[in-house]
Amino acid sequence: MSDGMTRREFLKLALLSAVSPRLLAACSGRSKPSVNFFNWSTYIAKDTLPDFTRDTGIKVNYNVYADEEEMFAKLRSGAMSYDVIVGTDYMIDRLRSFNIIAPIPPGALKNRKNIMPIFRHPAYDPKGEYTAAYLWGTSGIGYNKNKIPKPPDSWRDLWSERYAGKISMLDNARDCVSLGLLLEGYPETTTDEKAYEKVKHLLIKQKPLVRSYTSSNYVDDLISGETWISMAWSGDILQALKENPELDYVIPREGSYRWVDNLCLVRGAPHPEDALRLMDYLLQGKVAADIANTVRYASPNAAALPYLNPKLLKDPRAYPPPSVEKRLRFHAELDPVTVQLWDETWSEVKVS
Amino acid sequence: MEPAVRDAGVEGERTSRAPGKRSWDEPLSWLVVGRTPLASHLLLSPASLWVLVLLVSPVTLLTLLSFAKIGAYGRILWSFSLANFGQIMRPAYLWVIGRTLVYAGATALICLLLGFPAAYYVAFAADSKRKHLLLFALMLPFWTSALVAIYCWLIVLGREGLINALMLRLGILSTPFSFLNTPFSVILGLVYFYLPYMVLPLYAALEKIPRTLIEASHDLGAGGLKTFLRVILPLSWPGVASGAILIFVPCLGDFLTAEFLGGPRTYLLGNLIDNQFLAAQNWPLGAALTVLLMGMLMSGLYFYGRVEVEETSRV
Amino acid sequence: MSRRALRIYGVFFYLFLYFPLLVMFAFSFNNASRNVVWRGFTFKWYARLLHDTELLWALATSLKLAVAAAAVASFLGLLASYVLARHRRFRGRGFYAGLFNLPLMIPEIVMGVGLLSFFAKARIPLTFWTLAASHALIALPYTIGTIRGRLLLLKDSRLEEAAMDLGATEWATFLKVTLPLAWPSIVAGALLAFTVSFEDFVTTFFVAGVGVVTMPIKIYSMMKFGVTPEINALAVCLLIFAALALGLNQLSSSGRAIESDAGPA
Repeated sequence: MSDGMTRREFLKLALLSAVSPRLLAACSGRSKPSVNFFNWSTYIAKDTLPDFTRDTGIKVNYNVYADEEEMFAKLRSGAMSYDVIVGTDYMIDRLRSFNIIAPIPPGALKNRKNIMPIFRHPAYDPKGEYTAAYLWGTSGIGYNKNKIPKPPDSWRDLWSERYAGKISMLDNARDCVSLGLLLEGYPETTTDEKAYEKVKHLLIKQKPLVRSYTSSNYVDDLISGETWISMAWSGDILQALKENPELDYVIPREGSYRWVDNLCLVRGAPHPEDALRLMDYLLQGKVAADIANTVRYASPNAAALPYLNPKLLKDPRAYPPPSVEKRLRFHAELDPVTVQLWDETWSEVKVS
Repeated sequence: MEPAVRDAGVEGERTSRAPGKRSWDEPLSWLVVGRTPLASHLLLSPASLWVLVLLVSPVTLLTLLSFAKIGAYGRILWSFSLANFGQIMRPAYLWVIGRTLVYAGATALICLLLGFPAAYYVAFAADSKRKHLLLFALMLPFWTSALVAIYCWLIVLGREGLINALMLRLGILSTPFSFLNTPFSVILGLVYFYLPYMVLPLYAALEKIPRTLIEASHDLGAGGLKTFLRVILPLSWPGVASGAILIFVPCLGDFLTAEFLGGPRTYLLGNLIDNQFLAAQNWPLGAALTVLLMGMLMSGLYFYGRVEVEETSRV
Repeated sequence: MSRRALRIYGVFFYLFLYFPLLVMFAFSFNNASRNVVWRGFTFKWYARLLHDTELLWALATSLKLAVAAAAVASFLGLLASYVLARHRRFRGRGFYAGLFNLPLMIPEIVMGVGLLSFFAKARIPLTFWTLAASHALIALPYTIGTIRGRLLLLKDSRLEEAAMDLGATEWATFLKVTLPLAWPSIVAGALLAFTVSFEDFVTTFFVAGVGVVTMPIKIYSMMKFGVTPEINALAVCLLIFAALALGLNQLSSSGRAIESDAGPA
């Protein structure tokens, strides 16, 4: 609220602005419309947001996070001045159940039709009400070819004595527990206590060999030789590949998971209209392609295909060919009880 | 640098002026500068409310929370259950707690061993002009934030770090050695950051020792070593105790050092609490761990208090 | 123990303290993106800092936060120290003194998770202001400690007593004598509070709302993504800042002695 406004004036304005949110934005000193966007770090192209501002006149306040669980712990407290956030598949149900995200008004995103059909009605949002797929990727093995000349082809290589002290694992329940269940032959949705005992055992057995649990600087460790082999996300390795050709990424023969990051509209967003414009913009084929070409994760956007870097598109590590794709599965939708089992299993691994 | 902790009662005695000397005729004076107990309480209320609301009530809340349970996605279900405490009494958790105590103890001990000669040097061997500079230099790294201290060791100890580069060049090592992610790197990081906490109280204690006492000891024929053992060491004991406690307590809750310099086997209590609150979304369990941490802290302070009382009664 | 051996030890001790900082300082001018080999002198990492808008934004947030926290902590600290140092003994004073020292004695992680739970339970959204309030709490013992020490000295000097004997009211004495004489300590306390807030990581880590990014939080996330020379440059800037703040603090708390010198503060 600007200074020196009388109470009466303020009331009048408040009434008016209930009708038009734009007006409130105008009187609060911001002549330019704006939108607050919260995204994973290094998850956008350099020109995306400046171009959006140039095209629409809407300023973007951009913030990034490096740890989604951490973000959620803070969001629980209810402070939300964001309009658009990016959330991973497994996070959607939590965000919804804590009333952090709101349904996207039907028909508000005309570019939503660009999203490939398999990403349009995912398990975490079957009716496609809350999310618009942004990027997807896989979890696999990243390694340093100078240290490991023969490509690893099994998850079991992460348990190999040969690499003792040169292994790093992603630091979250979602990736590690799902891997354990996969290797022990259980579905993700299992509530069988025995399954989790086995997973725990498997991961604890690996622990003496593991150098670090990290989801952020494992690529740096691979490059410097602190580690040789690590559980990794596809795009992280592919981004580093440009300058460090000694790195490589594989999806092991046992198969793996693919996960999807989504654009979500925040409940009570201060700038809902501009938020939808931004989301729609990010779903444009050309824009989505620019982002995917930069961050090297895969685009779920069909309209982006013609603009994608052909070399990247042919790269099986970024866009797995059908032979690999059949080994990939989407993460299942878990109910809260199962989520708790996963979290407990992971905590036990970390403390032991 | 650290404000004195327990000198509350001291200055009371110094109030020498007789009360009632002035007439309190101004209407507002009792509120602003009056000296009735009510005025004192009123003037203290903003600061004490601040502490009560933002520190005492959160700590109370944590205590209550430690008896709660969790529901869907970590929602808190208020109840009275000892399950969280049962969980942290399990061997895996006890290991982490034990490790934390060992690391904190080791840090305090190493700081004492490294810090004592340093404090002795500043107190006795340095000329008084340089003393200020030395004390200043001691505090500077500490005031730069723990993150910077940790970061420095990351670049020094790393596989591509300076130590490895030097040792490779000199032919001491043939392949780089991994100093990071080990108990060594964690304790080194802790020692480096907490060292001033030991040196400053030690210095203060040594500085207080009357030089005449040392001279007297010499005059009575005690040698340097004997004087050190029989005079200086006993008199520096309060400094040792406060240094140890000042290091031990924050080490129990440290999580940054182990997060960056540690590995899978250096998980400490602080990391566990951090993880329960921010990753595992199990706030009640995290709160139980916090309550445990505070319990250990209280017993540490109690022990410290006992030592202090003994000391003062002996002197 | 011989003096010589002690001197030599002292040199090694300070080398140990400053060696990592010197390495960082040196590498902040290294013209290579990794910290191993020396590839020539450059200012480019410092230049890059100036062009990093996120970083500058974090700096602005940290400065605003530190000013707010220092202002609140100094005000609360002045009131509290005045009563603690100048009022006649009253019941409960020991309790207050203990209370004000609590923030020093409780490990920061406890404050962090405690405040996070508290704000969540009280349904207070995590914003810039909740963080500023938390920082003021952490800084409070520092302002009280500094200001109270000075006020006690002042009492011993009996200048206020003289003023009142000459007919000044308490209020006038406070404004005309106490406040000007205590001023250096208020500045020193505020400076200390500013530094405490500016450098705080742990509490901020738990209590900062999403999108409130302070300098230490920014460094933390940079470190999370690995070691880059940009962090070297940034850390050097922070070190210089800390040296300035600490130096200023020592100057303002030791400068301007009170006429009747009454022992150590």
